[in-house]
Amino acid sequence: MYATPVQELIDELGRLPGIGPKSAQRIAFHILKSPAEDAARLANAVNAAKTRVTWCRRCFNFAETDPSADDGTGVECDICSNPRRDPSVLCVVEEPRHVVAIEKSGWFKGRYHVLMGALSPIDGIFAEQLRIKELLARIEAEGVSEVILCTDPDQEGSATAMYLVREFKHLPVKLKVTKVAVGLPVGSELEFADELTLTMALEDRREVS
Amino acid sequence: MYIEHLAVWDYRNFGRAELWPAQEGVTLLAGPNGSGKTNLLEAVGYAASLRSFRASPTASLVRAGCQQGLVSAAVRRDGRALQLEAEVLVSGRGRLRLNRQAVRRPEDFVGALLVTVFSPDDIELVKGGPQARRDYLDAMIVALSPKLALVAANLERALRQRNALLRSAGGVLRPGMEGVLDVWDDKVAEAGEALVTAREQLVMALVPEVEAAYRELGGREKVELHYERSWDGALLDALRTSRALDLRRGVTGAGPQRDELHFCLDGLVARMQASQGQQRSLALALRLGGHALVTRRQGTVPVLLLDDVFSELDGRRSAALAACLPPGQVLLTAAGAVPADLSVAAAAEVSAGSVFSSPPGGAHGPDGSEGVRDGS
Repeated sequence: MYATPVQELIDELGRLPGIGPKSAQRIAFHILKSPAEDAARLANAVNAAKTRVTWCRRCFNFAETDPSADDGTGVECDICSNPRRDPSVLCVVEEPRHVVAIEKSGWFKGRYHVLMGALSPIDGIFAEQLRIKELLARIEAEGVSEVILCTDPDQEGSATAMYLVREFKHLPVKLKVTKVAVGLPVGSELEFADELTLTMALEDRREVS
Repeated sequence: MYIEHLAVWDYRNFGRAELWPAQEGVTLLAGPNGSGKTNLLEAVGYAASLRSFRASPTASLVRAGCQQGLVSAAVRRDGRALQLEAEVLVSGRGRLRLNRQAVRRPEDFVGALLVTVFSPDDIELVKGGPQARRDYLDAMIVALSPKLALVAANLERALRQRNALLRSAGGVLRPGMEGVLDVWDDKVAEAGEALVTAREQLVMALVPEVEAAYRELGGREKVELHYERSWDGALLDALRTSRALDLRRGVTGAGPQRDELHFCLDGLVARMQASQGQQRSLALALRLGGHALVTRRQGTVPVLLLDDVFSELDGRRSAALAACLPPGQVLLTAAGAVPADLSVAAAAEVSAGSVFSSPPGGAHGPDGSEGVRDGS
Protein backbone atom coordinates (compact mmCIF):
# COMPACT_ATOMS: atom_id res chain seq x y z
CA MET A 1 0.00 0.00 0.00
CA TYR A 2 2.67 2.49 1.10
CA ALA A 3 6.33 2.70 0.09
CA THR A 4 8.27 0.12 2.10
CA PRO A 5 9.97 2.53 4.57
CA VAL A 6 6.62 4.16 5.38
CA GLN A 7 4.96 0.81 5.96
CA GLU A 8 7.88 -0.28 8.15
CA LEU A 9 7.57 2.86 10.26
CA ILE A 10 3.82 2.27 10.68
CA ASP A 11 4.43 -1.37 11.61
CA GLU A 12 7.07 -0.46 14.21
CA LEU A 13 4.88 2.24 15.77
CA GLY A 14 1.97 -0.18 15.81
CA ARG A 15 3.96 -2.56 18.01
CA LEU A 16 4.09 0.03 20.80
CA PRO A 17 1.67 -0.49 23.69
CA GLY A 18 -1.58 1.44 23.34
CA ILE A 19 -0.98 2.33 19.69
CA GLY A 20 -3.45 0.81 17.24
CA PRO A 21 -3.08 0.71 13.45
CA LYS A 22 -4.90 4.05 12.96
CA SER A 23 -2.77 5.88 15.53
CA ALA A 24 0.39 4.30 14.11
CA GLN A 25 -0.52 5.65 10.70
CA ARG A 26 -1.26 9.11 12.09
CA ILE A 27 2.03 9.29 13.99
CA ALA A 28 3.96 8.03 10.97
CA PHE A 29 2.46 10.75 8.74
CA HIS A 30 3.17 13.35 11.40
CA ILE A 31 6.83 12.29 11.49
CA LEU A 32 7.06 12.32 7.71
CA LYS A 33 5.59 15.82 7.50
CA SER A 34 7.72 17.30 10.29
CA PRO A 35 11.22 18.79 9.66
CA ALA A 36 14.13 16.37 9.43
CA GLU A 37 15.71 17.68 12.65
CA ASP A 38 12.53 16.89 14.65
CA ALA A 39 12.60 13.32 13.43
CA ALA A 40 16.32 13.10 14.17
CA ARG A 41 15.75 14.39 17.70
CA LEU A 42 13.15 11.67 18.29
CA ALA A 43 15.43 8.98 16.87
CA ASN A 44 18.31 10.23 19.01
CA ALA A 45 16.18 10.29 22.14
CA VAL A 46 15.13 6.67 21.56
CA ASN A 47 18.74 5.71 20.91
CA ALA A 48 20.14 7.57 23.90
CA ALA A 49 17.54 6.11 26.23
CA LYS A 50 18.32 2.64 25.01
CA THR A 51 22.12 2.99 25.29
CA ARG A 52 22.41 5.21 28.37
CA VAL A 53 19.66 3.72 30.53
CA THR A 54 20.08 0.39 32.24
CA TRP A 55 18.78 -1.33 35.38
CA CYS A 56 20.04 -0.42 38.82
CA ARG A 57 22.12 -3.36 40.10
CA ARG A 58 20.59 -2.96 43.54
CA CYS A 59 16.86 -2.23 43.11
CA PHE A 60 16.26 -2.79 39.35
CA ASN A 61 14.84 0.67 38.86
CA PHE A 62 16.04 2.62 35.80
CA ALA A 63 19.59 3.90 36.14
CA GLU A 64 21.83 5.94 33.90
CA THR A 65 24.97 4.21 32.65
CA ASP A 66 28.15 5.93 33.75
CA PRO A 67 31.32 4.39 32.31
CA SER A 68 33.50 6.18 34.90
CA ALA A 69 31.56 4.76 37.87
CA ASP A 70 31.02 1.31 36.43
CA ASP A 71 33.50 -1.16 37.83
CA GLY A 72 32.02 -4.02 35.85
CA THR A 73 29.29 -4.83 38.39
CA GLY A 74 26.79 -2.32 37.01
CA VAL A 75 25.53 1.03 38.24
CA GLU A 76 23.12 2.23 40.88
CA CYS A 77 20.12 4.46 40.36
CA ASP A 78 19.84 7.96 41.82
CA ILE A 79 17.80 6.70 44.76
CA CYS A 80 20.07 3.83 45.78
CA SER A 81 23.17 6.03 45.49
CA ASN A 82 21.61 8.84 47.53
CA PRO A 83 23.13 8.71 51.06
CA ARG A 84 20.13 10.52 52.52
CA ARG A 85 17.74 7.66 51.68
CA ASP A 86 17.07 5.31 54.57
CA PRO A 87 18.48 1.88 53.68
CA SER A 88 16.52 0.12 56.45
CA VAL A 89 13.10 0.55 54.75
CA LEU A 90 12.36 -1.08 51.40
CA CYS A 91 9.28 -0.42 49.27
CA VAL A 92 8.55 -3.33 46.93
CA VAL A 93 6.83 -2.46 43.64
CA GLU A 94 6.08 -4.28 40.38
CA GLU A 95 7.37 -1.78 37.81
CA PRO A 96 9.76 1.20 37.56
CA ARG A 97 6.78 3.46 36.78
CA HIS A 98 5.42 2.65 40.23
CA VAL A 99 8.65 4.05 41.72
CA VAL A 100 7.95 7.28 39.86
CA ALA A 101 4.40 7.36 41.20
CA ILE A 102 5.51 6.92 44.81
CA GLU A 103 8.40 9.37 44.44
CA LYS A 104 5.90 12.04 43.38
CA SER A 105 4.27 11.74 46.79
CA GLY A 106 7.58 12.75 48.39
CA TRP A 107 6.59 10.87 51.54
CA PHE A 108 8.79 7.82 51.21
CA LYS A 109 12.42 8.29 52.27
CA GLY A 110 13.61 4.69 52.03
CA ARG A 111 14.78 2.68 49.06
CA TYR A 112 12.88 0.62 46.51
CA HIS A 113 12.95 -2.84 45.06
CA VAL A 114 11.40 -3.38 41.63
CA LEU A 115 10.18 -6.94 41.03
CA MET A 116 9.81 -6.48 37.26
CA GLY A 117 6.29 -7.83 37.18
CA ALA A 118 3.93 -9.98 39.25
CA LEU A 119 3.34 -13.73 39.51
CA SER A 120 1.24 -14.63 36.48
CA PRO A 121 1.57 -18.21 35.18
CA ILE A 122 -0.66 -17.27 32.21
CA ASP A 123 2.13 -14.97 31.02
CA GLY A 124 4.83 -17.45 31.99
CA ILE A 125 5.89 -15.39 35.01
CA PHE A 126 6.84 -17.50 38.03
CA ALA A 127 8.97 -16.65 41.05
CA GLU A 128 12.25 -17.08 39.18
CA GLN A 129 11.26 -14.56 36.49
CA LEU A 130 10.88 -11.87 39.16
CA ARG A 131 13.65 -10.20 41.16
CA ILE A 132 12.65 -12.07 44.32
CA LYS A 133 15.95 -13.85 45.02
CA GLU A 134 17.68 -10.48 44.82
CA LEU A 135 15.13 -8.96 47.21
CA LEU A 136 15.67 -11.67 49.83
CA ALA A 137 19.44 -11.28 49.53
CA ARG A 138 19.16 -7.51 49.99
CA ILE A 139 17.16 -7.78 53.20
CA GLU A 140 19.95 -9.63 54.94
CA ALA A 141 22.87 -7.83 53.30
CA GLU A 142 21.54 -4.29 53.77
CA GLY A 143 20.10 -4.68 57.26
CA VAL A 144 16.53 -3.94 56.15
CA SER A 145 14.11 -3.77 59.09
CA GLU A 146 10.84 -2.94 57.30
CA VAL A 147 9.41 -3.95 53.93
CA ILE A 148 6.41 -2.10 52.53
CA LEU A 149 4.54 -4.22 49.96
CA CYS A 150 3.17 -1.98 47.27
CA THR A 151 2.07 -4.38 44.51
CA ASP A 152 -1.06 -3.76 42.44
CA PRO A 153 -4.36 -4.53 44.22
CA ASP A 154 -5.37 -7.11 41.56
CA GLN A 155 -5.23 -10.90 41.82
CA GLU A 156 -1.67 -11.14 40.47
CA GLY A 157 -0.37 -8.33 42.68
CA SER A 158 -1.93 -9.70 45.84
CA ALA A 159 -0.74 -13.25 45.05
CA THR A 160 2.78 -11.85 44.66
CA ALA A 161 2.54 -10.05 48.01
CA MET A 162 1.27 -13.25 49.63
CA TYR A 163 4.19 -15.18 48.14
CA LEU A 164 6.70 -12.65 49.45
CA VAL A 165 5.24 -12.75 52.97
CA ARG A 166 5.81 -16.52 53.01
CA GLU A 167 9.36 -16.20 51.71
CA PHE A 168 10.19 -13.57 54.35
CA LYS A 169 9.25 -16.07 57.07
CA HIS A 170 12.22 -18.23 56.08
CA LEU A 171 14.66 -15.36 56.58
CA PRO A 172 16.80 -15.47 59.74
CA VAL A 173 16.14 -11.76 60.44
CA LYS A 174 13.39 -9.93 62.31
CA LEU A 175 11.42 -8.04 59.71
CA LYS A 176 8.41 -5.76 59.87
CA VAL A 177 6.21 -6.33 56.79
CA THR A 178 3.46 -3.88 55.91
CA LYS A 179 1.07 -3.48 53.02
CA VAL A 180 -0.23 -0.20 51.63
CA ALA A 181 -3.82 0.53 52.63
CA VAL A 182 -6.68 0.66 50.15
CA GLY A 183 -9.08 3.49 50.67
CA LEU A 184 -10.74 6.70 49.71
CA PRO A 185 -9.01 9.11 47.35
CA VAL A 186 -8.09 12.39 49.01
CA GLY A 187 -9.96 15.51 48.01
CA SER A 188 -12.92 13.71 46.51
CA GLU A 189 -16.36 13.25 47.91
CA LEU A 190 -17.51 10.09 49.63
CA GLU A 191 -20.45 9.60 47.31
CA PHE A 192 -18.19 9.27 44.28
CA ALA A 193 -16.23 6.32 45.67
CA ASP A 194 -17.21 2.98 44.18
CA GLU A 195 -18.80 0.42 46.52
CA LEU A 196 -15.78 -1.85 46.63
CA THR A 197 -13.29 0.87 47.54
CA LEU A 198 -15.72 2.09 50.17
CA THR A 199 -16.11 -1.43 51.59
CA MET A 200 -12.36 -1.87 51.84
CA ALA A 201 -11.90 1.58 53.35
CA LEU A 202 -14.47 0.70 56.01
CA GLU A 203 -12.80 -2.63 56.72
CA ASP A 204 -9.43 -0.92 57.11
CA ARG A 205 -10.85 1.86 59.27
CA ARG A 206 -8.60 3.32 61.92
CA GLU A 207 -9.24 4.33 65.51
CA VAL A 208 -8.93 8.08 66.01
CA SER A 209 -9.58 8.44 69.71
CA MET B 1 -40.04 -0.90 37.44
CA TYR B 2 -41.22 -0.66 33.89
CA ILE B 3 -40.15 0.43 30.44
CA GLU B 4 -42.07 3.43 29.15
CA HIS B 5 -40.54 3.44 25.73
CA LEU B 6 -38.02 1.35 23.85
CA ALA B 7 -36.31 2.51 20.66
CA VAL B 8 -33.70 0.76 18.55
CA TRP B 9 -31.71 2.02 15.59
CA ASP B 10 -29.88 -0.30 13.19
CA TYR B 11 -30.38 -3.18 15.57
CA ARG B 12 -30.60 -6.73 14.12
CA ASN B 13 -33.29 -6.57 11.41
CA PHE B 14 -34.62 -3.14 12.45
CA GLY B 15 -33.60 0.14 10.83
CA ARG B 16 -35.61 1.99 13.41
CA ALA B 17 -38.30 0.63 15.69
CA GLU B 18 -40.19 1.87 18.71
CA LEU B 19 -42.27 0.15 21.33
CA TRP B 20 -44.54 1.58 24.01
CA PRO B 21 -45.24 -1.30 26.36
CA ALA B 22 -48.05 -1.23 28.88
CA GLN B 23 -46.90 -0.11 32.29
CA GLU B 24 -48.48 -3.07 34.02
CA GLY B 25 -49.43 -6.48 32.69
CA VAL B 26 -48.73 -8.21 29.43
CA THR B 27 -47.54 -6.44 26.29
CA LEU B 28 -47.93 -8.96 23.52
CA LEU B 29 -45.47 -8.83 20.62
CA ALA B 30 -47.19 -10.77 17.87
CA GLY B 31 -46.04 -11.51 14.36
CA PRO B 32 -44.78 -14.27 12.09
CA ASN B 33 -41.57 -16.20 12.67
CA GLY B 34 -38.49 -14.25 11.64
CA SER B 35 -40.17 -10.86 11.95
CA GLY B 36 -37.91 -9.77 14.82
CA LYS B 37 -40.04 -10.22 17.96
CA THR B 38 -37.25 -11.89 19.88
CA ASN B 39 -34.83 -9.21 18.67
CA LEU B 40 -36.87 -6.61 20.55
CA LEU B 41 -36.77 -8.65 23.76
CA GLU B 42 -33.07 -9.14 23.22
CA ALA B 43 -32.65 -5.35 22.91
CA VAL B 44 -34.40 -4.87 26.27
CA GLY B 45 -32.11 -7.54 27.74
CA TYR B 46 -29.11 -5.75 26.25
CA ALA B 47 -30.07 -2.47 27.89
CA ALA B 48 -30.21 -4.35 31.20
CA SER B 49 -27.08 -6.49 31.03
CA LEU B 50 -25.07 -5.35 27.96
CA ARG B 51 -25.23 -8.94 26.75
CA SER B 52 -27.48 -10.84 24.41
CA PHE B 53 -29.52 -13.48 26.18
CA ARG B 54 -29.10 -15.54 23.02
CA ALA B 55 -25.36 -15.50 23.73
CA SER B 56 -24.70 -13.67 20.44
CA PRO B 57 -21.58 -11.53 20.23
CA THR B 58 -22.37 -7.81 20.39
CA ALA B 59 -21.13 -7.29 16.81
CA SER B 60 -23.92 -9.52 15.51
CA LEU B 61 -26.54 -7.22 17.06
CA VAL B 62 -25.68 -4.46 14.59
CA ARG B 63 -27.91 -4.40 11.53
CA ALA B 64 -26.25 -5.97 8.49
CA GLY B 65 -24.32 -3.36 6.51
CA CYS B 66 -24.15 -0.87 9.37
CA GLN B 67 -21.22 -0.02 11.63
CA GLN B 68 -23.21 0.78 14.74
CA GLY B 69 -26.64 0.55 16.26
CA LEU B 70 -28.30 1.96 19.33
CA VAL B 71 -30.66 0.67 22.02
CA SER B 72 -32.48 3.30 24.04
CA ALA B 73 -34.89 2.61 26.88
CA ALA B 74 -36.91 5.04 28.99
CA VAL B 75 -37.37 3.31 32.32
CA ARG B 76 -39.37 4.19 35.44
CA ARG B 77 -37.94 2.75 38.61
CA ASP B 78 -39.77 3.57 41.85
CA GLY B 79 -41.03 6.80 40.32
CA ARG B 80 -37.59 7.80 39.08
CA ALA B 81 -37.09 8.30 35.34
CA LEU B 82 -34.03 6.63 33.84
CA GLN B 83 -32.94 7.07 30.26
CA LEU B 84 -30.64 4.25 29.16
CA GLU B 85 -28.70 4.39 25.91
CA ALA B 86 -26.26 1.74 24.76
CA GLU B 87 -24.43 1.74 21.45
CA VAL B 88 -23.71 -1.57 19.76
CA LEU B 89 -20.68 -1.53 17.50
CA VAL B 90 -19.30 -3.92 14.89
CA SER B 91 -15.92 -3.54 16.55
CA GLY B 92 -14.94 -2.09 19.90
CA ARG B 93 -17.01 -1.14 22.89
CA GLY B 94 -20.02 1.08 22.40
CA ARG B 95 -20.63 4.21 24.45
CA LEU B 96 -23.10 4.09 27.30
CA ARG B 97 -25.26 6.91 28.59
CA LEU B 98 -27.44 7.01 31.66
CA ASN B 99 -29.78 10.02 31.90
CA ARG B 100 -27.79 11.67 29.08
CA GLN B 101 -24.56 11.37 31.06
CA ALA B 102 -21.71 9.28 29.66
CA VAL B 103 -21.00 6.19 31.76
CA ARG B 104 -17.45 4.93 31.58
CA ARG B 105 -17.62 1.66 33.48
CA PRO B 106 -20.13 -0.95 32.26
CA GLU B 107 -20.77 -2.02 35.88
CA ASP B 108 -22.24 1.43 36.56
CA PHE B 109 -24.73 0.89 33.73
CA VAL B 110 -25.68 -2.74 34.26
CA GLY B 111 -28.36 -3.16 36.90
CA ALA B 112 -30.12 0.16 36.34
CA LEU B 113 -32.76 -1.89 34.52
CA LEU B 114 -33.51 -5.33 35.94
CA VAL B 115 -35.01 -8.04 33.73
CA THR B 116 -35.88 -11.70 34.07
CA VAL B 117 -35.63 -13.57 30.79
CA PHE B 118 -37.24 -16.85 29.83
CA SER B 119 -36.38 -18.21 26.41
CA PRO B 120 -36.96 -21.59 24.76
CA ASP B 121 -33.25 -22.37 25.25
CA ASP B 122 -33.80 -22.39 28.99
CA ILE B 123 -34.78 -26.03 28.85
CA GLU B 124 -30.99 -26.49 28.83
CA LEU B 125 -31.09 -25.47 32.49
CA VAL B 126 -32.73 -28.81 33.18
CA LYS B 127 -31.49 -30.99 30.32
CA GLY B 128 -28.06 -29.56 29.57
CA GLY B 129 -24.69 -29.60 31.29
CA PRO B 130 -23.90 -28.19 34.73
CA GLN B 131 -22.36 -24.99 33.34
CA ALA B 132 -25.81 -23.61 32.45
CA ARG B 133 -27.02 -24.21 36.01
CA ARG B 134 -23.94 -22.62 37.56
CA ASP B 135 -24.40 -19.61 35.27
CA TYR B 136 -28.05 -19.41 36.33
CA LEU B 137 -27.03 -19.17 39.98
CA ASP B 138 -24.13 -16.77 39.39
CA ALA B 139 -26.22 -14.37 37.30
CA MET B 140 -28.79 -14.20 40.07
CA ILE B 141 -26.11 -13.72 42.73
CA VAL B 142 -24.86 -10.68 40.82
CA ALA B 143 -28.41 -9.35 40.34
CA LEU B 144 -29.03 -9.60 44.09
CA SER B 145 -25.64 -8.31 45.18
CA PRO B 146 -23.67 -6.56 42.41
CA LYS B 147 -20.41 -6.48 44.36
CA LEU B 148 -20.25 -10.28 44.22
CA ALA B 149 -19.50 -9.93 40.50
CA LEU B 150 -15.94 -9.23 41.63
CA VAL B 151 -15.79 -12.49 43.59
CA ALA B 152 -16.81 -14.46 40.50
CA ALA B 153 -14.28 -12.56 38.36
CA ASN B 154 -11.53 -13.12 40.95
CA LEU B 155 -12.25 -16.84 41.03
CA GLU B 156 -12.15 -17.10 37.27
CA ARG B 157 -8.85 -15.22 37.13
CA ALA B 158 -7.26 -17.25 39.94
CA LEU B 159 -8.39 -20.51 38.30
CA ARG B 160 -6.91 -19.47 34.96
CA GLN B 161 -3.63 -18.68 36.68
CA ARG B 162 -3.60 -21.92 38.66
CA ASN B 163 -4.45 -24.01 35.59
CA ALA B 164 -1.76 -22.25 33.54
CA LEU B 165 0.70 -23.08 36.30
CA LEU B 166 -0.42 -26.74 36.41
CA ARG B 167 -0.05 -27.09 32.65
CA SER B 168 3.33 -25.38 32.51
CA ALA B 169 4.60 -27.77 35.17
CA GLY B 170 4.03 -30.69 32.79
CA GLY B 171 3.15 -33.16 35.52
CA VAL B 172 6.05 -32.47 37.85
CA LEU B 173 6.46 -29.54 40.17
CA ARG B 174 9.90 -28.03 39.82
CA PRO B 175 11.50 -26.83 43.05
CA GLY B 176 10.47 -23.25 43.63
CA MET B 177 7.14 -23.72 41.83
CA GLU B 178 5.53 -25.15 44.90
CA GLY B 179 5.43 -21.81 46.70
CA VAL B 180 3.83 -20.15 43.67
CA LEU B 181 1.19 -22.89 43.47
CA ASP B 182 0.56 -22.38 47.19
CA VAL B 183 -0.43 -18.76 46.72
CA TRP B 184 -2.72 -19.53 43.78
CA ASP B 185 -4.34 -22.27 45.88
CA ASP B 186 -4.99 -19.57 48.47
CA LYS B 187 -6.46 -17.22 45.87
CA VAL B 188 -8.73 -19.93 44.40
CA ALA B 189 -9.82 -20.97 47.89
CA GLU B 190 -10.52 -17.41 49.03
CA ALA B 191 -12.76 -16.53 46.08
CA GLY B 192 -14.15 -20.08 45.80
CA GLU B 193 -15.35 -20.24 49.41
CA ALA B 194 -17.02 -16.85 49.04
CA LEU B 195 -18.79 -17.88 45.82
CA VAL B 196 -19.92 -21.28 47.07
CA THR B 197 -21.34 -19.73 50.24
CA ALA B 198 -23.29 -17.23 48.14
CA ARG B 199 -24.56 -20.04 45.87
CA GLU B 200 -25.68 -22.24 48.74
CA GLN B 201 -27.49 -19.39 50.45
CA LEU B 202 -29.15 -18.52 47.15
CA VAL B 203 -30.32 -22.11 46.58
CA MET B 204 -31.84 -22.19 50.06
CA ALA B 205 -33.74 -18.98 49.35
CA LEU B 206 -34.78 -20.22 45.90
CA VAL B 207 -36.29 -23.55 46.98
CA PRO B 208 -39.64 -22.20 48.25
CA GLU B 209 -39.92 -19.75 45.33
CA VAL B 210 -39.31 -22.40 42.66
CA GLU B 211 -41.63 -24.85 44.44
CA ALA B 212 -44.40 -22.24 44.47
CA ALA B 213 -43.86 -21.31 40.82
CA TYR B 214 -43.86 -24.97 39.74
CA ARG B 215 -47.13 -25.59 41.61
CA GLU B 216 -48.75 -22.52 40.08
CA LEU B 217 -47.79 -23.81 36.64
CA GLY B 218 -49.92 -26.85 37.41
CA GLY B 219 -47.13 -29.21 38.44
CA ARG B 220 -48.06 -31.67 41.15
CA GLU B 221 -44.63 -33.19 41.78
CA LYS B 222 -42.50 -32.14 44.69
CA VAL B 223 -39.56 -30.05 43.46
CA GLU B 224 -36.17 -30.40 45.09
CA LEU B 225 -33.07 -28.31 44.46
CA HIS B 226 -29.85 -29.67 45.79
CA TYR B 227 -26.49 -27.96 45.50
CA GLU B 228 -23.58 -30.39 45.47
CA ARG B 229 -20.02 -29.22 46.13
CA SER B 230 -17.23 -30.92 44.24
CA TRP B 231 -15.20 -31.23 47.44
CA ASP B 232 -15.49 -31.93 51.18
CA GLY B 233 -14.27 -29.73 54.01
CA ALA B 234 -12.23 -26.61 53.41
CA LEU B 235 -11.53 -25.81 49.75
CA LEU B 236 -7.90 -25.02 50.52
CA ASP B 237 -7.37 -28.52 51.97
CA ALA B 238 -9.15 -30.08 49.00
CA LEU B 239 -6.88 -28.21 46.58
CA ARG B 240 -3.81 -29.45 48.45
CA THR B 241 -5.14 -33.01 48.41
CA SER B 242 -5.98 -32.98 44.72
CA ARG B 243 -2.70 -31.30 43.78
CA ALA B 244 -0.97 -34.43 42.45
CA LEU B 245 -4.00 -35.35 40.34
CA ASP B 246 -4.46 -31.76 39.16
CA LEU B 247 -0.82 -31.67 38.06
CA ARG B 248 -1.33 -34.72 35.91
CA ARG B 249 -4.57 -33.44 34.39
CA GLY B 250 -3.60 -29.79 34.05
CA VAL B 251 -6.91 -28.55 35.48
CA THR B 252 -8.26 -27.77 38.93
CA GLY B 253 -10.52 -30.59 40.10
CA ALA B 254 -12.09 -29.00 43.16
CA GLY B 255 -13.98 -25.73 43.42
CA PRO B 256 -17.23 -24.01 42.46
CA GLN B 257 -16.33 -24.46 38.78
CA ARG B 258 -16.99 -28.20 39.19
CA ASP B 259 -20.09 -28.05 41.37
CA GLU B 260 -23.53 -29.25 40.35
CA LEU B 261 -27.06 -28.13 41.01
CA HIS B 262 -29.45 -31.09 41.00
CA PHE B 263 -33.18 -30.89 40.33
CA CYS B 264 -35.54 -33.67 41.38
CA LEU B 265 -39.25 -34.12 40.80
CA ASP B 266 -40.83 -36.48 43.31
CA GLY B 267 -37.35 -37.83 44.00
CA LEU B 268 -36.54 -38.55 40.33
CA VAL B 269 -33.66 -36.80 38.60
CA ALA B 270 -35.31 -34.17 36.40
CA ARG B 271 -32.53 -34.19 33.80
CA MET B 272 -32.99 -37.88 32.98
CA GLN B 273 -36.34 -39.03 34.27
CA ALA B 274 -38.76 -36.14 33.77
CA SER B 275 -40.98 -35.73 30.71
CA GLN B 276 -40.38 -32.89 28.20
CA GLY B 277 -43.40 -31.07 29.60
CA GLN B 278 -42.17 -31.40 33.16
CA GLN B 279 -38.71 -30.21 32.15
CA ARG B 280 -40.18 -27.15 30.41
CA SER B 281 -42.33 -26.36 33.43
CA LEU B 282 -39.35 -26.72 35.72
CA ALA B 283 -37.16 -24.44 33.55
CA LEU B 284 -39.88 -21.80 33.61
CA ALA B 285 -40.38 -22.28 37.36
CA LEU B 286 -36.64 -21.70 37.88
CA ARG B 287 -36.91 -18.36 36.07
CA LEU B 288 -40.16 -17.30 37.72
CA GLY B 289 -38.86 -18.39 41.14
CA GLY B 290 -35.73 -16.30 40.60
CA HIS B 291 -37.93 -13.43 39.45
CA ALA B 292 -39.96 -13.63 42.68
CA LEU B 293 -36.80 -13.72 44.79
CA VAL B 294 -35.19 -10.72 43.07
CA THR B 295 -38.51 -8.85 43.38
CA ARG B 296 -38.64 -9.45 47.12
CA ARG B 297 -34.97 -8.76 47.85
CA GLN B 298 -34.58 -5.70 45.61
CA GLY B 299 -37.93 -4.19 46.47
CA THR B 300 -38.67 -3.59 42.81
CA VAL B 301 -40.19 -5.85 40.16
CA PRO B 302 -37.86 -6.67 37.26
CA VAL B 303 -39.33 -6.52 33.77
CA LEU B 304 -40.29 -10.05 32.77
CA LEU B 305 -39.33 -11.06 29.22
CA LEU B 306 -41.02 -14.23 27.99
CA ASP B 307 -39.82 -15.35 24.59
CA ASP B 308 -42.10 -17.69 22.69
CA VAL B 309 -43.20 -19.31 25.92
CA PHE B 310 -46.56 -20.69 24.77
CA SER B 311 -45.20 -22.68 21.86
CA GLU B 312 -43.18 -24.61 24.43
CA LEU B 313 -45.97 -25.50 26.83
CA ASP B 314 -49.01 -27.71 26.40
CA GLY B 315 -52.53 -26.28 26.70
CA ARG B 316 -52.93 -27.00 30.38
CA ARG B 317 -49.60 -25.48 31.34
CA SER B 318 -50.13 -22.48 29.04
CA ALA B 319 -53.43 -21.73 30.70
CA ALA B 320 -51.83 -22.11 34.12
CA LEU B 321 -49.04 -19.66 33.16
CA ALA B 322 -51.57 -17.16 31.79
CA ALA B 323 -53.39 -17.32 35.09
CA CYS B 324 -50.35 -17.03 37.37
CA LEU B 325 -48.23 -14.34 35.69
CA PRO B 326 -46.68 -12.22 38.43
CA PRO B 327 -47.60 -8.54 38.76
CA GLY B 328 -45.41 -6.03 36.95
CA GLN B 329 -44.53 -5.42 33.34
CA VAL B 330 -44.37 -8.47 31.09
CA LEU B 331 -43.15 -8.44 27.49
CA LEU B 332 -44.22 -11.58 25.71
CA THR B 333 -43.63 -12.78 22.17
CA ALA B 334 -45.89 -15.23 20.37
CA ALA B 335 -45.91 -16.41 16.78
CA GLY B 336 -49.17 -18.31 17.14
CA ALA B 337 -52.18 -18.36 19.38
CA VAL B 338 -52.06 -17.35 23.01
CA PRO B 339 -54.32 -18.81 25.71
CA ALA B 340 -57.79 -17.39 25.57
CA ASP B 341 -57.73 -16.18 29.15
CA LEU B 342 -54.38 -14.35 28.83
CA SER B 343 -55.04 -10.79 29.85
CA VAL B 344 -53.27 -8.57 27.31
CA ALA B 345 -52.77 -4.95 28.33
CA ALA B 346 -51.13 -3.80 25.09
CA ALA B 347 -50.26 -5.40 21.80
CA ALA B 348 -47.71 -4.62 19.14
CA GLU B 349 -47.59 -6.14 15.70
CA VAL B 350 -44.09 -6.99 14.47
CA SER B 351 -43.59 -7.71 10.80
CA ALA B 352 -40.32 -7.95 8.88
CA GLY B 353 -38.37 -5.21 10.57
CA SER B 354 -41.14 -2.85 11.60
CA VAL B 355 -43.20 -2.55 14.73
CA PHE B 356 -46.71 -1.19 15.03
CA SER B 357 -47.02 0.09 18.53
CA SER B 358 -48.67 3.26 19.80
CA PRO B 359 -47.85 5.58 22.66
CA PRO B 360 -50.44 5.66 25.41
CA GLY B 361 -53.02 8.25 24.40
CA GLY B 362 -52.36 7.96 20.67
CA ALA B 363 -54.79 5.29 19.59
CA HIS B 364 -53.55 4.52 16.11
CA GLY B 365 -50.46 2.84 14.78
CA PRO B 366 -48.56 4.06 11.71
CA ASP B 367 -50.64 1.90 9.44
CA GLY B 368 -53.85 3.25 10.89
CA SER B 369 -54.55 0.04 12.74
CA GLU B 370 -55.38 -0.05 16.36
CA GLY B 371 -52.00 -0.14 18.06
CA VAL B 372 -53.14 -0.70 21.60
CA ARG B 373 -55.65 -3.37 22.23
CA ASP B 374 -57.63 -3.70 25.35
CA GLY B 375 -57.29 -7.17 26.75
CA SER B 376 -60.41 -7.11 28.87
